[in-house]
Amino acid sequence: MSTDLNRRTEEVAPPAVARERAWGRLFSDHPLLVLGGVLVVLVLVTGAIEPDYLSLRGLRNTLLLAAPLGILAAGQTILMLTRGIDLSIAMVATASAYVAGNQSPNGAGVAIALALVVGSAAGALNGVGVGVFRVNPLIMTLAMAGILLGLFTQWAQTFLQGSTSVAPFIRTLGGGSFFGNRVPWNVLVWAGVAVVVIWGLRRTGLGRMLYAVGDNPEAARLAGVRSWQVLLAAYTLAGFFAALGGLLLAGQSGAVDLQLAQNFLLPSVAASVIGGTSIFGGVGTYSGTILGALILSVLNSMLTFLNAGQAVKQVVYGTIVLALAWLYAAVTRRE
Amino acid sequence: MPPRHPAPPHLGTDVSQRPPLLEARGIAKRYGSVVALRSADLTVAAGEVHALLGANGAGKSTLVKILAGVIPADAGTVRVDGAQVALRSPAEAMRAGLATVFQDPALIPDLTVEHNLRLSGLEPERIRPWLARVGLAGLDLGAVVRELPLPVLRLLDLARALAHEPRLLMLDEITAALPADQAERVFSVMADWRAGGRSVLFITHRLAEVLRVCDRATVLRDGRHVATLVPGEGGESRLVEAMLGEVAAVTAGPARAREGRTEAPVALEARSLTSRGSLRGVSFRLHRGEVLGLVALEGQGQDRLFEVLSGARPYDGGELLVDGRPFRPRSPFDAIRHGVVLVPADRLQALLPQRPVRENLAAALYNRVARWFSLLRDEEDRVRRVVERLAIDVRAQRQARRLSGGNQQKLVVGRWLVGGFRVLLCFDPTRGIDIQTKEQIYGLLRELADEGAAVLYYTSELQEIPLICDRVLVMYGGTVVHEQEAATADEATLLNAAHGLQEAAV
Amino acid sequence: MGAVGQVVAGRLGGEWRRLVRRHGWTVGVWGLLVLLLLWYAALIPRFGPFAIASIAKNSLPTAYLAVSQAVVVIAGGIDLAVGSMMVLANCVSALLMEGQSFGTTVLIAVGVVAGATLLNALVGWVIVTSRIPDIIVTLATLFVFGGAALMVLPSPGGGTSGGLRFVFTGSTSGVGSNYWPSLVALAVPLAVLAAWLGRTRTGLSLYAAGSDPNAAYLSGLNTRRAKVLAYAIGGAFAALAGLAVTAITATGDPKFANAANGTLNSVAAVVLGGVALTGGVGSVIGAVAAGVVLFILKPILTAMAIDPNTAQVIQGLLIIGVMMVAGLLELRRRRAG
Repeated sequence: MSTDLNRRTEEVAPPAVARERAWGRLFSDHPLLVLGGVLVVLVLVTGAIEPDYLSLRGLRNTLLLAAPLGILAAGQTILMLTRGIDLSIAMVATASAYVAGNQSPNGAGVAIALALVVGSAAGALNGVGVGVFRVNPLIMTLAMAGILLGLFTQWAQTFLQGSTSVAPFIRTLGGGSFFGNRVPWNVLVWAGVAVVVIWGLRRTGLGRMLYAVGDNPEAARLAGVRSWQVLLAAYTLAGFFAALGGLLLAGQSGAVDLQLAQNFLLPSVAASVIGGTSIFGGVGTYSGTILGALILSVLNSMLTFLNAGQAVKQVVYGTIVLALAWLYAAVTRRE
Repeated sequence: MPPRHPAPPHLGTDVSQRPPLLEARGIAKRYGSVVALRSADLTVAAGEVHALLGANGAGKSTLVKILAGVIPADAGTVRVDGAQVALRSPAEAMRAGLATVFQDPALIPDLTVEHNLRLSGLEPERIRPWLARVGLAGLDLGAVVRELPLPVLRLLDLARALAHEPRLLMLDEITAALPADQAERVFSVMADWRAGGRSVLFITHRLAEVLRVCDRATVLRDGRHVATLVPGEGGESRLVEAMLGEVAAVTAGPARAREGRTEAPVALEARSLTSRGSLRGVSFRLHRGEVLGLVALEGQGQDRLFEVLSGARPYDGGELLVDGRPFRPRSPFDAIRHGVVLVPADRLQALLPQRPVRENLAAALYNRVARWFSLLRDEEDRVRRVVERLAIDVRAQRQARRLSGGNQQKLVVGRWLVGGFRVLLCFDPTRGIDIQTKEQIYGLLRELADEGAAVLYYTSELQEIPLICDRVLVMYGGTVVHEQEAATADEATLLNAAHGLQEAAV
Repeated sequence: MGAVGQVVAGRLGGEWRRLVRRHGWTVGVWGLLVLLLLWYAALIPRFGPFAIASIAKNSLPTAYLAVSQAVVVIAGGIDLAVGSMMVLANCVSALLMEGQSFGTTVLIAVGVVAGATLLNALVGWVIVTSRIPDIIVTLATLFVFGGAALMVLPSPGGGTSGGLRFVFTGSTSGVGSNYWPSLVALAVPLAVLAAWLGRTRTGLSLYAAGSDPNAAYLSGLNTRRAKVLAYAIGGAFAALAGLAVTAITATGDPKFANAANGTLNSVAAVVLGGVALTGGVGSVIGAVAAGVVLFILKPILTAMAIDPNTAQVIQGLLIIGVMMVAGLLELRRRRAG
């Protein structure tokens, strides 16, 4: 609405007012500071409940959970930047885990490679639907999730029946730890993903195009961007990360079943949102998503220490996601 | 231009005895660090047609939106018939007797006309006479709004506002998209309203209309009230003076001698270009080093021509050549690849509002997959050079939407300087931009042309033609009807040609 | 005479074309539903009142959820929590109704619907106040309501009165051949809602808020109220879905998968039913038909001896196929226009 107001005269705010707004400005320009604060507070509160928590070993469980969540959320973040979303992420992860389980007898390398290929292919199909045929991402990925569920439920009873355990290497990667059993291996994988995604979004042409297509599709088109290419790449990447997350989850639990990644779909969206990625595209960073994934995982540990049942956990979890999203919106909103 | 009639003298009763119908005092509004209105005063008496004037960015639209209850004012008071009123929502403004017809029709696109009327609390029977009054008696109430043409929507919006029988009718640029006969009808409605002792606030850019139909005019400049005049006394020049202040009219000096252009190679050539329903054989040549002006009234095919040239739409017949080679772009990417780039009419169309200045400027560098895997090593350099060359104000560079309109337009033009191009298509690039930025853009386009670029420049402001163009084309009814040297082009000739009144001028 | 006739014919033709364009999708979905019903009738050996009653009652939850989602989407929102609201209503009603008389269960049912209406109105209020996107807020409430259902009823259980079962299923035992009550239980609230949406000022303001909130605001409508209202109505229909589940199964089941599936089906139904996810376009009538279409696919495929998992795959492919065709048509229309 303010778009056609011709803003002609610029004025710099007087210094007295400026100081008053300094904090608000600091937070609104760097909202991750607020998120970092929330994370620290949550860790300390959890530490107060369970003093053992405040050690590398104590934090290990949180990280073990945070890594696959963060990797799944990487795909979600990339898609949300383009105004998209992937509701098939959990099923793609599960499907890839089955593939890995099926191929594990042929060696971990083959298993991992094929799982990643299958995940990327499923993502690419989503990309074709959304990018080329302009199907609403919600519908496209929802239907994809339904199709994969149908296929793998069937196959789990037939030729995938024996594919429920994965190669030892994958198990170590997903659930093992190093440095005196303090640091999980999957955190190392996550760190690699983080470096690639953060660098990719900031320092590559594809990153620029992801933001551009999400921020203003029409402007992107006028700049010569063929959005179907960008969307195809984005959904394929999301499929790839889903597969990677699925592999780590399979390694962690040691076994593959149809519910493997089910509980990670909603948190993957929540982590991105809490981290400041706009579902309307064009705004967000993976650093924020990392903080979001950590916050949600610490919260999970805290509720576990409190012996909260599944029901209470769910209610508290939902409420806090809402509160954090509200906090983020309030902090960053500026006229 | 319509003939000028001196405004009739005041018809109302002795105004000084009664409080004015509307009295707004000291209205102020700022958006963040940008001041839209400093202190605007406006007094509208009962029984007058009052013009609200000002250059782009003077604050007219903001003031109207405040009076309409769309946005809240930061300071100031509004009185209706002497009693202070709060205007916290459009509904409240309507209850206070203020009804507005906005620039963009406030109609719900997916609903039928009838549903829209019902939404405003109007029964079809009640609005029928008003529809007839604005010339829409035959309008099918079952039609979906999205499928109606803009002039019909404007008039429909007007009829709806009239049906509320407001004390003060506010019309924001209502005549902008109306053909002449329908504009006449609006004027006659305005006259009726005045005769009934009610008032009209009329926002327009067309001074001829002000001279013809308005009793008084309030002029805003830089968000302040500068004068209230009777338009008939002193005529156009006094109004212009008040609107522009010391910054006299645009002063880019007369066109310099630019020789040898037509000997330069042809960058873009159209040969009897046709496009269904819009272009009926457009031919022209655009040379390197040339700024070719294009003038046309609304809807003469200029939009389609730009769409075709920029690859948004294919053409049906004829030929297009770029640097002598056939050019048939199937997408904007295709056109850009051939060096033909567009600065669209609405800068917001081409802006990445939430992205920083740098990403906006570099956006066109990465539109091919081969460039996706890193950033160009010299990106920063290229961007910095363009920022310096265009004097882009980078204080608010974190998000392009926080920049002023002029700086946003510089980003849109600058994107092509970063990316490189052969032919620059500009569609009314200075619309709604302050004079200083306008001059910078003129200067830039001239420089680019002098460096060998070819520029096709459509403008809705005829005064711009002699300032920057070498030659000018006039389009009418889907073809080019007139061509001449810009230095010799006066407004009268161009207007005649644009109306299809061709004198033996070619 | 000839000329006049031509004008009239032209106008009639235009009228017809317009009707087709505006309601074509809805009519098409209903046509598809009829075709599928006929196909089903031909497939199974004994198609009679019992089969009709079975479809009528078992499709009730999906149909109610489709209406619930449609109202919200028309007003420019989306409610990912409709499924868990259904589960919550199911659990609360089954818990409270166990062993109660018909009169008491009706009172409880009214209370559950009222509670769900208020609760979802609160969700709508949070959305318009916080300005957090609908999808995020309702994603959170999907968790919250699902958890609340688990708190109310940690494991499947509860019951209801025979009378209430009759209201939704046509039989006090939940199994029978009387299909009229199920049809009435759907048609009456649907008709009231459709008439209200299309004919009253407040109802139309929901379309306005979804179609162009800016224009709606400029014409003096309260778009925030319209959205809250849409969520409230959506809550009421989600509660009806929950009550229908209680009546059909005579138990409450807090399983989260039920909630997730309910939401997924509702979104698919809305889109297939011609309600644009961008808001302001479509009708609840079309959404209901699409909801029943989605439901009936499974019995048909079962009757064809196709594995239910394959049926799920086919359903997904069908949704994608329809949306791709719609997308292509839209693309062509834009190219041509």
